[in-house]
Amino acid sequence: MRPFLRRTRWPVGGPIGGTSSVILRTAVRLILPLTFLFAVYAALKGHNGPGGGFIAGLVASVGLCTYRMSYGYQAFHRLVPLHPRWLVFIGLGLAVGVAALPLAAGNPVLRSAATSIHLGNADLHLVSSTAFDLGVLMVVVGVAIGMISRLDEEAER
Amino acid sequence: MTTVLAVCVAVLVTVSIYLMLSRELKSVAMGVFVLGHGANLAIIAMSGSPVLPGGGLRNPPILGSSDLVDALPQALILTAIVINFAVMGFLLTLLIVTARRTGTLNVDELATLGRSNPGPEGDDR
Amino acid sequence: MCPVMMASPILVLLAVGAPVLAGLASMVLPGRRTLARPLVAAVGPVLALVLLTIHLQRHGLSTNGTPTDALAWVPSLHLDVSFLVDGLGTFFALLIAGVGVLVVLYSRAFFGPDDTALARFLPTLGFFTSAMLGIVLADHLLLTVLFWEMTSISSFLLIGWDRDDPEAGRRALQAFVTTGLGGLSLLGGVLLLGGTTDLWRWSEVIGGAATLDPSGAVAASFALMFAGAAAKSAQWPLHDWLPGAMRAPTPVSAYLHSATMVKAGVFLVGRMLPVFGVLAAWVPLVTAIGTSTMILGAVLALRQHDLKRIFAYTTVSQLGLLIATYGMGGATTSHGDPAIDWDLTQIANHALYKAPLFLVAGALGVLAGAKRLPDLFGLWRRSRSGTRASLLVLLLAGYALAGGPGTLSFVAKELFFDAVRHAADGRPVLALVGAGGVIAAACNVAIFVRLATTILGRGPGLRSDEAPNAPTNSGPITDRWSILLWLPAALLVALQYVGGLLPPVWNAAARPLEVNRHAEAFADGLPWPWEPFLHPGLPLLLSAIAIVGGTALGLSPRLRGERIDPHSGLWPAAYRGILRGGHRAFHSVQTGHLRLYLTVVFGALLLGIGWAAWINPDMLSTPDSMSPLESPTGLLLGAVVCSTAIALPLVEERVVRVLVLGASGFAVVGLYILYQAPDLALTQLMFEIISVILFLLVLRLLPPLDRRPQVRVLPRLALASVVGLSIGWMTLLAGHAAEQRASDTPTLGTFFEDHSLEGSVITNGRGGEGRNIVNVILVDFRGFDTLGEITVLATAALGVWSMLPSRRWLRDEPVQSATTEDGP
Repeated sequence: MRPFLRRTRWPVGGPIGGTSSVILRTAVRLILPLTFLFAVYAALKGHNGPGGGFIAGLVASVGLCTYRMSYGYQAFHRLVPLHPRWLVFIGLGLAVGVAALPLAAGNPVLRSAATSIHLGNADLHLVSSTAFDLGVLMVVVGVAIGMISRLDEEAER
Repeated sequence: MTTVLAVCVAVLVTVSIYLMLSRELKSVAMGVFVLGHGANLAIIAMSGSPVLPGGGLRNPPILGSSDLVDALPQALILTAIVINFAVMGFLLTLLIVTARRTGTLNVDELATLGRSNPGPEGDDR
Repeated sequence: MCPVMMASPILVLLAVGAPVLAGLASMVLPGRRTLARPLVAAVGPVLALVLLTIHLQRHGLSTNGTPTDALAWVPSLHLDVSFLVDGLGTFFALLIAGVGVLVVLYSRAFFGPDDTALARFLPTLGFFTSAMLGIVLADHLLLTVLFWEMTSISSFLLIGWDRDDPEAGRRALQAFVTTGLGGLSLLGGVLLLGGTTDLWRWSEVIGGAATLDPSGAVAASFALMFAGAAAKSAQWPLHDWLPGAMRAPTPVSAYLHSATMVKAGVFLVGRMLPVFGVLAAWVPLVTAIGTSTMILGAVLALRQHDLKRIFAYTTVSQLGLLIATYGMGGATTSHGDPAIDWDLTQIANHALYKAPLFLVAGALGVLAGAKRLPDLFGLWRRSRSGTRASLLVLLLAGYALAGGPGTLSFVAKELFFDAVRHAADGRPVLALVGAGGVIAAACNVAIFVRLATTILGRGPGLRSDEAPNAPTNSGPITDRWSILLWLPAALLVALQYVGGLLPPVWNAAARPLEVNRHAEAFADGLPWPWEPFLHPGLPLLLSAIAIVGGTALGLSPRLRGERIDPHSGLWPAAYRGILRGGHRAFHSVQTGHLRLYLTVVFGALLLGIGWAAWINPDMLSTPDSMSPLESPTGLLLGAVVCSTAIALPLVEERVVRVLVLGASGFAVVGLYILYQAPDLALTQLMFEIISVILFLLVLRLLPPLDRRPQVRVLPRLALASVVGLSIGWMTLLAGHAAEQRASDTPTLGTFFEDHSLEGSVITNGRGGEGRNIVNVILVDFRGFDTLGEITVLATAALGVWSMLPSRRWLRDEPVQSATTEDGP
């Protein structure tokens, strides 16, 4: 646990922060795509199997946060080029939009609609709740990486 | 199973309140954190024991099989966990800001910080 | 014109709304428009007058208490918008809108070329005018209260007009609190009346006045409503706010604090007279308060030097007279008629001389820098035409204040004394009101005599010891519209003399509005100015006493010099007391000690649980068929959770502490898996990872652990373990209840299970279209909850970002934008 905690700092204003542990960096580099993959899977599968927006969001956040911790701000900024608050705003807007959409058809707020798309022999069942879940995912990711990144930045100073 | 859960809840709540009553705000924050665990476990007790009377376990709340456990407590806890996360982030940030502004995280010292002002004034202007 | 046909409320509603809309329109005019602004704002009251006239032409005056139709507003509260356009309301509406036009025009001259002041002032004034029109025309009691509070708010804004003057702010607060508390009292009275009688409209209340039970709740609601009216109309002992309100700009003083707003209380008393006049408490209470206010105000007015304060105290006195007039309305004459006559003329009379007095006092402040009586000494001889016109209006209005023959005021005094005589027939005590009236009238005469002698500069006027402190160096800020400084006042004063010298004109206008015409002497209308002298009686005698005595008092050196109102200490003392009490109460509850709060919270929790156990002692008996050993894995995980939790307070090293915390969390994940909650387990797992990161990050930023002696362990542990055991016990009971539940018991869980995929009749055939029940609950059944939750998440993140603003993300913004903003 020690190497994770005690960091060798780059000189002030150096190119990257983050930890110097090569093992951790390598592991994170391997883990990050996996977490993304799993997040996508959990988000899409969530309505019918274990998963959902919250879980997918938290999984992706864990990947991103470890990446942020090990590779530092600059690399993270290249990966996520916009401020996390935009993720929060867009996610919240998406969720509110999906919630409010049924109003246009005279239905109560948040009434879900479902449709099936046939792609070859695969049958993709789409529910509007999935879009809502996507909004939840974005908010969770935005909040998690926003907070962690902010605090990490504070700790680096 | 419920008995085990109840003992866990009792211990978690005891520890959390013990921590919250300490002088150190960091411990208070940890107490809040632990209280979240305790509350969540107390909620999930509502769904009853997952162990069937004849042995064997119930199934997770996903349609397609029989003897599902109650899904409602799980949905409530899922919400609670994520909220807990946001609240923890906020609380810890608050601690940082408090420590920077006042230089202390001692509950008693913080309580007496506001005492230095002269008290009621006849006029607020 | 068919009387059965209900009148539409739209016209009246528009009339009520017109002033505020015009005021807002005048505000948004672009650029510097010192003339267009007042003109646009003046359209509002004019429009109100026009619309009201159209309404009256179409539907006539509501003489039998028929309100207009109602526009539904809040049906669940029985609150709707309807108006009662009867004589009293119409008279007040005409007065408010009429004086409103003149005040708007006057404000142009008063503020001079100060465009920003006008842009701020006119909408506020329009807001007030609308609120005032609403009070006098509303039919629904709650609507009256609503507009009532709106006048308090606008009055607050206008008294505190000068933002740099702390005294103005204090006075505004005083006026607001006094009249606002009065408004609350009025609201209480209205609710009490409506709640007990189920009558929510003035028309219903007045119509059903005979059926009211004159005791208990009705009497209490009368007392509450009268307290509201008394606060608004500055009755003793709540009058101190009105002289204080003279900090407001003069248009405000003239309009709100003499002509209209303070009359709202008088109006309310007039409205209440047909309803509560029969109550035993009416005559003594209303008359006593009115009379004492009348005498007090008049005597105090003599002891002031500031012009506006003099007129403020005479306003207090006159308001007392008006209230006393209505108070006597509850008494009956020997003929069985109410002892009240031409009350609206009485009110109009006051507005017609008091508003000009204020307007001209403000004008003299602008033109000659004279704000105090000593400044006026010999002003007539040393002033030019504009100032002279103002002084002339001042003297003419002062003559009316004194109630000299030839003015409406003289007739009004006759009316008052006549009413007193009739009322005293039945109740001799009421003769005291007449005596008070003579004193007040004498004081008014004395004030006029002093004004006249001071201005004309002969005789024993008030000589200023030092040179007048007029800002002669700067000179008056005047332009060609300065004529508006005295012209509106002149118009109003002219009406005084029209009423006094040409009574047929006045009668034609006022008679349809006057409801209370009882005495034979005035049945045909107001008399010609010489008629009282042809039939001399007690009223004339009393007037003569007042004039002679007042002249003597005015010329004598007695009762001179400034004197502070002994009531002026009431408000600061009350205010300070409220602040002190609030401070003390707050700090005895909010000590700032977290442990105290927690102890209280958990103590309350224990009390609640204990209470439940006391009611149902079965809670304390051990549930049967508990088998802790049914799942060895569960037992193991439970042991880990417990042991890590217990280790937590024992570990000192903070990093180890965080890891212990994490271990405890991971054991909880195991419990979730055991409880067949894969979603929860996944969420908790991720949450634990992120939390550990979060804690590790934050702990680096916090000061090290305080190693000083800790709080005593035993009491902490005692409270914690009692609460913990209670909660644990409750958990046991909850889980046990769930296990013992019969399988066919309908629960929410089974509902969600049934409808997660497909709907049924209960849900109109709509299901959640998903197999994962937990997720369907989150995004569908309880989607609103989730929406709220992500809002909480976003808010927490925003809180973090705002508490710890990032320098880095800012630095990454394009730099040029920052430089352009920093440029000149």
